[in-house]
Amino acid sequence: MHQREILSTEIVKKSKNKSKQLDFDPLPKKIIETIKSREKHMCFKKKGTDSTPQCNKSSIPGAVTQRSCVYGGARVVLMPITDAVHLVHGPIGCASCTWDIRGSLSSTSQLYKTGFSTNMEEKDIVFGGEKKLLDTLIEINRLYQPPAIFVYATCVVGLIGDDLKAVCKEAEKITSTRIIPVQSEGFRSFNKSLGHQLAGDALLDYVIGTSHPPSSSNPFTLNIVGEFNIAGDLWGIKPLLEKLGIEIISTLTGDSLVEDIARAHQANLNIVQCQKSSNYIAREMEKRYGIPYLKVNFFGISDTAYSLLSIAHFFQYPQMISRAEKLIENERKRVEDSIKIFQKRLEGKRVAVYVGGNKAWSLIKAFEELGMEVIMTGTQNGLPKDYKKIKETVQEGTLIVDDANAMELSSLLKKYNPDLVISGAKEKYLSMKMGIPFCEFNHDRITSFSGFDGYINFAQDLDRAVSSPVWDHIKKPLKAA
Amino acid sequence: MPESKKHQKKDHPHSPYGEESQELIAKTQKRFAVINPSRMCQPLGAVQALLGIRGAMPLIHGSQGCSTYMRFQLCRHYREPINVSSTSMSEATVVYGGEKNLIQALNTITHQYKPELIGVTSSCLTETIGDDMDSIINKFLQNNHNKIDFPIIPISTPSYAGSHIESYDQTLKALVEKITHQNILKQSLKGLKDENKKSSQINLKDKINVITGLLSPMDVEEVKFILKEMNIESIVLTDNSQSLNSPLDGKVDFLPSKGTTIKQIRDTAYSKATIALSNHANSAGVFLEKEFGVKLFNLPTPIGLRATDEFIETLVKLKNNQISKTLKIHRGQLLDAMVDAHAYNYNRKVAIYGEPDMVVGLTRFTSELGMIPAVVCTGTECNKFKQEIELISSQDGHEIQIISGGDQYDLHQKVKEEEIEILMGNSYSARIAKEENIPLIRIGFPVFDRIGAQRIKIVGYRAGLSLLDLITNTIIEKYYDNLKEEHL
Repeated sequence: MHQREILSTEIVKKSKNKSKQLDFDPLPKKIIETIKSREKHMCFKKKGTDSTPQCNKSSIPGAVTQRSCVYGGARVVLMPITDAVHLVHGPIGCASCTWDIRGSLSSTSQLYKTGFSTNMEEKDIVFGGEKKLLDTLIEINRLYQPPAIFVYATCVVGLIGDDLKAVCKEAEKITSTRIIPVQSEGFRSFNKSLGHQLAGDALLDYVIGTSHPPSSSNPFTLNIVGEFNIAGDLWGIKPLLEKLGIEIISTLTGDSLVEDIARAHQANLNIVQCQKSSNYIAREMEKRYGIPYLKVNFFGISDTAYSLLSIAHFFQYPQMISRAEKLIENERKRVEDSIKIFQKRLEGKRVAVYVGGNKAWSLIKAFEELGMEVIMTGTQNGLPKDYKKIKETVQEGTLIVDDANAMELSSLLKKYNPDLVISGAKEKYLSMKMGIPFCEFNHDRITSFSGFDGYINFAQDLDRAVSSPVWDHIKKPLKAA
Repeated sequence: MPESKKHQKKDHPHSPYGEESQELIAKTQKRFAVINPSRMCQPLGAVQALLGIRGAMPLIHGSQGCSTYMRFQLCRHYREPINVSSTSMSEATVVYGGEKNLIQALNTITHQYKPELIGVTSSCLTETIGDDMDSIINKFLQNNHNKIDFPIIPISTPSYAGSHIESYDQTLKALVEKITHQNILKQSLKGLKDENKKSSQINLKDKINVITGLLSPMDVEEVKFILKEMNIESIVLTDNSQSLNSPLDGKVDFLPSKGTTIKQIRDTAYSKATIALSNHANSAGVFLEKEFGVKLFNLPTPIGLRATDEFIETLVKLKNNQISKTLKIHRGQLLDAMVDAHAYNYNRKVAIYGEPDMVVGLTRFTSELGMIPAVVCTGTECNKFKQEIELISSQDGHEIQIISGGDQYDLHQKVKEEEIEILMGNSYSARIAKEENIPLIRIGFPVFDRIGAQRIKIVGYRAGLSLLDLITNTIIEKYYDNLKEEHL
């Protein structure tokens, strides 16, 4: 830990990070007008206060929540496994609204982008869906011979009591492939974090540790956990690690093959990128296989640098450390030169972040390095520990919100008037309709933002979002005669 | 063709779109799995209908995922901020039934969003636990001592039966049935107050109800344009032309600020006639005819020349109005373009995929152009659809492969077998087009990988013209441009 702290201060010193107070002074008494019970879900980071909002409560029925379901949580973690079949056991809509909606990229198989459903119909609800599920599993195995089939339970499966585990076990005997039940009935929790954990359990119980090829001769091996290769993010991280002489055993789960995850237990280290969804897996792997883990973050220059150094220090191999230092030095210079042009236009812009989890804190420094101010950050599914992390990361005076619904988001944007909103597809058109620039940072993202090259892309995309002349036209209405 | 492919190297053993699985698709039949679904579930159809009603809030009684994922699909298609509310059912509430959540949701929406209507749809979850939405809504109304001045319409949409097509139809019927109902009329509804009360029943009798079916905002706009050109006062069910293609003015509407009003829905009972431009969404028209004697005319969706003619001829029959000069010009321009383009399009094999009305309309239109609609596919199992296509097939002498209730796996097989040259369908079918190396005309729902889905036009002469240009230019680019280069 001591070592990490030293590293951290070094990097902060190196970065241009200016620590300054945000300009809500004095802080408004009431953050926005909303339902009484919701008021505690928003707060400012302020000295002498707890600075974390109330969270992990069920959404108010009827408020247009931005949250999804447990199935959605499980699916986001598992779906990037490219050569697996992802079968949704439920009525057609659960599959047809969600297949291939995640921008995870693959360098090999495209099977994960195929939408499989058991298409439960009325008779299956009445008589049970087990037979249909078994038939479907055998058929899919015959058609595709996948190395694994993940079977996701949806709401009705839990209600009618289909024994998912038993059917999967039977199908596994018949097909001799991995058939993995995921008990992700949508209604099981208001917080999709449970889905993340269930997905983790599916990997831990049915995949990790099921393959034992000869171990690598390279002593420096690791798994990248909680990296889903959205828009190719993984491909911005992998080459950096390889340059340090590290062998990547598997990624959980971006651009991964089932076989690689099956031997993930052979790695010497886990690094965790999305700490919202995947800390659980890393912790469990430490318990089960004694693999230590490091929390990393490859968004932003200093966080990427810090992550690389932490990994090099973990392996305690002087040559790797000096390689990392050299790499960082060169890359930092290159990136700083390339982003200058964007930085000029982005400096001083005020950003509001509202995302699913991890990015609510992992992006903060990346903005600050561009001279931007994060005035608001928040998540739909934050837990107390998540908000603690947010509180520690953001500047004094930053607004922190939990589970804001559509109307609250709009009020927040109107009152605090950011220059840029970072969020997902549902919030995109809300923001843009209000004339506020928007940058996608979710499933639909098409540009990779990870690593050094990703940071240049990031700066470029932000510039594209805020600097276009279209926003000026909005401010000049048609003049009446 | 398949022979040569057999000897090519496979790219990846498990790729469904690699060479090996292409063979699999050709060789293997499937019975159980749905692979790449081509229909949505019932709550979505209800939401789509409600989005064309002024001040309406759709509320899905179920898990949060239903409303969130549907919102996601709707937002990325229409590129508009769309709100769909949820009763946020969770484990604890499932055990005791959803009454508490539904009542709380109605309360929240009433106070936060001040709606002119709430459409409450069920889901597989709440249908299975057997929540009685009617009585819960009544309880809510009683709790509020009849202070609720807007209609709350329950719509049963079990996701495990039918598809969004049936629920779209059922939603229109539920709206008309409940709002024209005596008891509702006795209430002083907010939606009625602000309307001009002077409009006498004689004026109402001149109006024509028009059920559009699932159309894009621009298509609904075109239907309204034709009606206006024909000097016809109409009530459009439901009018999404502005709510889902709204101008940017710096404000956000949480509920549609434009659209069919509650008063208009009530007035449908007094209209001269109903024209249903859809064979799959006419139940509201059937109800109005049976209950109030409003004559129903069932027409095909006005896509292409003949179907648009039929629409306009029916309007002439109904009101004895002159055909507008503008429409005559538009028709002439479409004909002119059809003649200009005919040589490129003749005998081109096209596959059409999407909602039944759209597929039927485009089958007729492409056939009018001289193309061969060799494969048609809709996700909903539907006899009416089959009959409509068979009629076109016998009239125009085409052999048409009909997939009704199939998925994209089935469609892909047929596209391959029939050596289709151009595909028309939504964004999900892009992968079939890519793999078969044929062009795709993006149409239907959802279209998320191109801009302007809310403005895709297929209805009327003008849209026929722009669609024809698009089809022809796509064919020229794909099948003629390279030809020239090869000869140079």
